[in-house]
Amino acid sequence: MPVSSATNWADEVDGEEMPQTFTDANGITTTIEYKTNEDGKKVKITRRTQKKLIHDVVNKAVATRKKWPKFGKEKGNRPGPDPATTNVGDNIKLKLSSTGQIVQDVDEKHEAMKQQLQNKKILCRICKGDHFTTKCPYKDSLGMEDTAAVSTPPPAEEPAPEEQQTGGKYIAPHMRAGASGSKDRETIREKRDEQPTLRVTNLSEDATEADVSELFKRFGHISRVFLARDRETNVCKGFAFVSFTMREDAQRALEAIDGRGYDNLILRVEWAKSSA
Amino acid sequence: MRPILLQGHERSLTQIKYNREGDLLFSVSKDHVVNAWFSHNGERLGTYEGHIGAVWTVDVNSSTTLLVSGSADNTAKLWDVSNGKCLKSWEFNTAVRRVQFSEDDRKILLVTEPRMGFPATLQIFNVENGVTENVSSEPLAVFHPEGPKITVAAWGYLDKYIVVGRDNGSVALMDPHTGKYIADNKVHEATLTDLQMSTDRTYFITASKDKSAKILETKTLQVLKTYTTDTPLNSAAIMPKVQEFVIVGGGQEAMDVTRTSSRQGKFECRFWHKILEEEVGRVRGHFGPINTIAIHPDGRSFASGGEDGYVRVHHFDEDFFTFKFQI
Repeated sequence: MPVSSATNWADEVDGEEMPQTFTDANGITTTIEYKTNEDGKKVKITRRTQKKLIHDVVNKAVATRKKWPKFGKEKGNRPGPDPATTNVGDNIKLKLSSTGQIVQDVDEKHEAMKQQLQNKKILCRICKGDHFTTKCPYKDSLGMEDTAAVSTPPPAEEPAPEEQQTGGKYIAPHMRAGASGSKDRETIREKRDEQPTLRVTNLSEDATEADVSELFKRFGHISRVFLARDRETNVCKGFAFVSFTMREDAQRALEAIDGRGYDNLILRVEWAKSSA
Repeated sequence: MRPILLQGHERSLTQIKYNREGDLLFSVSKDHVVNAWFSHNGERLGTYEGHIGAVWTVDVNSSTTLLVSGSADNTAKLWDVSNGKCLKSWEFNTAVRRVQFSEDDRKILLVTEPRMGFPATLQIFNVENGVTENVSSEPLAVFHPEGPKITVAAWGYLDKYIVVGRDNGSVALMDPHTGKYIADNKVHEATLTDLQMSTDRTYFITASKDKSAKILETKTLQVLKTYTTDTPLNSAAIMPKVQEFVIVGGGQEAMDVTRTSSRQGKFECRFWHKILEEEVGRVRGHFGPINTIAIHPDGRSFASGGEDGYVRVHHFDEDFFTFKFQI
């Protein structure tokens, strides 16, 4: 029977339009409504309301004042709070306590920190004076030497102190106390970049670091020799970097060696470009 | 509790006051306007317009018919509360810092600032007890009080005394007929910022920049209670009913706020037990120092006005009324 299974269009409209209302003996009014929600499903809404008349005794003067027409900037505005001037703030808890400890607690922490900082002396890392390092008057003169002194000891010689574990928490190796942090590495790299470095190309495969330093050390003190080697075969890839301490030495070496034959090959020497 | 925020001012609040029944709240600020609000829902009744300078002070008489305001435009104005009409404008040489109706509503006391060669004055005006424009332009009395500058003043009980607070931290008792000081007592280390009478005016509370508030007996100027906090205070009020509390508020000076960090400058209303001198609670919410506090006469709500330009009206939760202080 197709008629009974499909709801009649007239019935459907009636169901939605007609809210049923009835009041029981206790004065509770129940309203039942049918609505179609967003999903197209029919929902039943039941509302129970109870009206109560509350008598409140108000001061006569107060009652009259409530009826005063508004004036000034509010003139002509409707009764009731205007959201432009009146808003309700966030809920605030007034916690009353007999001990007064809840409110003092925060203060004590604050005071403790203050005390701690009061006793702490500000010490300049450069001149040991009582000012911040950045404010040091000898920053330019003393500062440079100091940083140089700090970075001279090679980081590899320092044995990394074993696990100063704090509370059994895992700390990545580079974060551990004593590990040369990324910051230190960076300064070393910067330092390296500052040094006068030559790039030597067209080296033979048999060349070693010793050969290269032998070749260059006659011009002055060499601080570093780097020979690029193939990762697998460990033979020379044909180029090397030589860092001098003095720029003049490097200049002389460049002029002397560039274009010279070495091991059947003609060497090419030029200023190395900064890695950055 | 959910505070009601009143945003009727564009600049920092200077004083707020409830009327006797507490249904209306009046607020004045540095933006020249006087606002009247219904305290139960924060609805604005209206504004009183006419001042052309910062309004320092306001007071309403006990029948809520007349309002008086004192301003930095060197005038004090008398208003009809119900319709915002200005009934009278008195002009002075300098700014008016404090006004108050006497207990019998017949007189107004006014404190003017010393400035530009003009000495500070304390003047008393006669106002007819009722709304009328025939108010005398001439003061009943003009006093030139000697000594430190008067910052706050209030009538004592039965209008027998005028209590003044001065910028050296002292409180003095003045005879309203002769203008002579009867007694004085240096109770604070720094300038007084507020002085509010108890309901019967037999004692009063003072707030000072020296971070403390004190309750003094009117007749003898004896210190009865001391409430020491950790921040300069701008206002203090006595709760008339429900709980034996006082509310004090303040915060770091507005100009020092950016120079100090942490804990947002202590801009809280602090509740102290009036008798046991113990702090019992705090209400935060303002973004700047609290300049003025007023408590509803029935003790069920209070309002605070801050340097941030907001008035916050707080209606206490149910647990506030049942709270008992345990010793």
